[in-house]
Amino acid sequence: MPSSTTSADAPAATRSAPPILEIVNAVHAYDGVVALDNVSVSAAPGEFLTILGESGSGKTTLLRLISGLEKPYRVGTLKLEGVDVREVPAFQRNCTTVFQNYALFPHMSVGANVEYGLKVRGVPAKDREARAREALRLVQLQEMYDRKVHQLSGGQRQRVALARALVPRPAILLLDEPLGALDEKLRVDMQVELMQLHKQLGMTFIYITHSQEEALTMSDRIILMRKGKIEQAGPPAEIFDSPISSFAARFMGVDNCFEGELVAVSDGWASVAVGERRIDGRWTGKSAPQPGAKVAVGMRAEWLQLSDAPPDASGEHNVLDCVAEASIYKGKYLDRTVKTALGPLKARIWDAASSARHPSFVRWKKGDCIVMNA
Amino acid sequence: MTAILDHQDAGPRDTGPRRSLMKRMLDGLSPSRLMVPGFLLFWSLLVIVPLVVIVLFSFLQVRQFRVVYEPTLATWISLIDSGRWMAVVRTLRVALTMTVIEFLLAFPFALWLAKGCRSKTVKAAVITLLTIPFFLDAASRIIVWRSILGTTGAINTALMSLGLVDQPVEWLLYSEFAVHFGLLGTYFPPMVFPIFMSIALIDDEFIQASGDLGASPAQTLFNVILPLALPGIVAGIVFTLVPLMAAFVEPQLLGGGFVDLLGNSVNSALQQLKYPTAAALSTLVVLLLGLCLVALIRVVHRRIDLAAMFVAMRR
Repeated sequence: MPSSTTSADAPAATRSAPPILEIVNAVHAYDGVVALDNVSVSAAPGEFLTILGESGSGKTTLLRLISGLEKPYRVGTLKLEGVDVREVPAFQRNCTTVFQNYALFPHMSVGANVEYGLKVRGVPAKDREARAREALRLVQLQEMYDRKVHQLSGGQRQRVALARALVPRPAILLLDEPLGALDEKLRVDMQVELMQLHKQLGMTFIYITHSQEEALTMSDRIILMRKGKIEQAGPPAEIFDSPISSFAARFMGVDNCFEGELVAVSDGWASVAVGERRIDGRWTGKSAPQPGAKVAVGMRAEWLQLSDAPPDASGEHNVLDCVAEASIYKGKYLDRTVKTALGPLKARIWDAASSARHPSFVRWKKGDCIVMNA
Repeated sequence: MTAILDHQDAGPRDTGPRRSLMKRMLDGLSPSRLMVPGFLLFWSLLVIVPLVVIVLFSFLQVRQFRVVYEPTLATWISLIDSGRWMAVVRTLRVALTMTVIEFLLAFPFALWLAKGCRSKTVKAAVITLLTIPFFLDAASRIIVWRSILGTTGAINTALMSLGLVDQPVEWLLYSEFAVHFGLLGTYFPPMVFPIFMSIALIDDEFIQASGDLGASPAQTLFNVILPLALPGIVAGIVFTLVPLMAAFVEPQLLGGGFVDLLGNSVNSALQQLKYPTAAALSTLVVLLLGLCLVALIRVVHRRIDLAAMFVAMRR
């Protein structure tokens, strides 16, 4: 078993308050397949934390570990609100989950579903109803109190599941890909609504998703997971602008990624040899390796500029000569593929009218080129 | 499902026009036009007509081995006078007690089998074990208990030789205890299977969601599992209670004539060629079962609309 640990602690600024969630060195496996490999996570009160990853990256396991639905094989610390909950069963933990498939009880009305968390805590029926109606109003379903669950649409069920999880006022709300089953339009609306709810309630949200766009839009902090380990953690802008590895870069939508050999690195700038060419860029990886090591170079399609005349060699740009290839019309923009000495590059052109029709050069700012661990 | 249908569709086309004609005829049997009335007619001929005949028969008399077609209440009056109606009360008591006992045993067992048992091999083995009562004829299966429970049987011999008792325990055989004991094995599977099926159909996520929202295991059991298993529980009760009302092998072999149930009464009436008496007793059984089922449906219906729940469980 690999012994290196990966951790994502709450940023120092919010550390003044004790973390509401603290996991140290969690290890878990299903049938011999490692799902979590020494993962450490902490969350500050009121934080919107997103756990991002592909399916099988261990993100759902991490969530189930927090909720108590899964007992970790081994964990150093597992604290909720400062209390050790390693031996506390799920029903006694102060957190609730919004399940991916909603898991609304089919034999209960919408109202009874929302009240369930209060009913099992022995809250009198009258208070229950008041609080359930309040929660339904929060998700704009106040009219649906008496409906049967199977009469609702997918989006409405999602909202009921959200209301049901909010009603017991948990310290942490866990959301397991809650928007995965909704259609595009509804998903965008719900994103905004979730953000507003988070702001309004001041509750800690831990959100699982495989969509980088959702993660970037909603979270205070993102934890990117890969094969049961934390690949990178940080605020959305940091992960978006400075991915530390080619995996993180590709996941965050960096279209052009190449392997190269590190030539020199100093002051956060790196120079890389890709084939015969030399590319300069910002070093965004973890600790800089020795020259000669394998590294990755990445640039976003939108930062590439195409031109038909050789640009001035100002030293601020990387320049390659290229041959135009395919061009894909996407409505708002145009995706062009050009062949260069590095291989095919994808460039995104927002202003199609003024761009070169037959570009022979491609350039991009050195500051917009990232160099990171392979 | 579609794959199976496709396969059947493809078959007849290859084997010439004769079978495709049959296929066309089968296509004509659409549920709405022929099948439903056909089924209803078949079912009523098979079940309802004999029932009506039995009820009518109980108002007739047999004299010198001949049926006299002349309505009379004599059979019913003699039923009350001879004290045979006591058998009705006893049967109802035994049947209801056994149903309750079977349910209390079967529900936890079914719950474990459906949700607790993780090993597929163990599950398959247990399900196979449950079908064993149907391998053997009831009489040969039950009669074995005589040699175990009797005054010179295995249990009494063991108790005596251990010095725990100095007289054989009498109530082990030819008693109500023995009858209940004998019924236990036979009517366990029909209670377990429907409950097992309905619990197995409950999505694990509902159970997890309940715990996640703060419900203790007991609260989850009563608020989520029990209501969602209700269709299976009702089916289990019906499949257990109905045949229990007609049970006669166990009371005959283990009751030793002390525990006379309706099934035995009907049997002995038939053997004495008292057809109207047998018919009257059978009518009573049907009547009591009808009442029990109506009561069951009303109790269940007050809590949950079963039909709506099937819709809901489909999601």
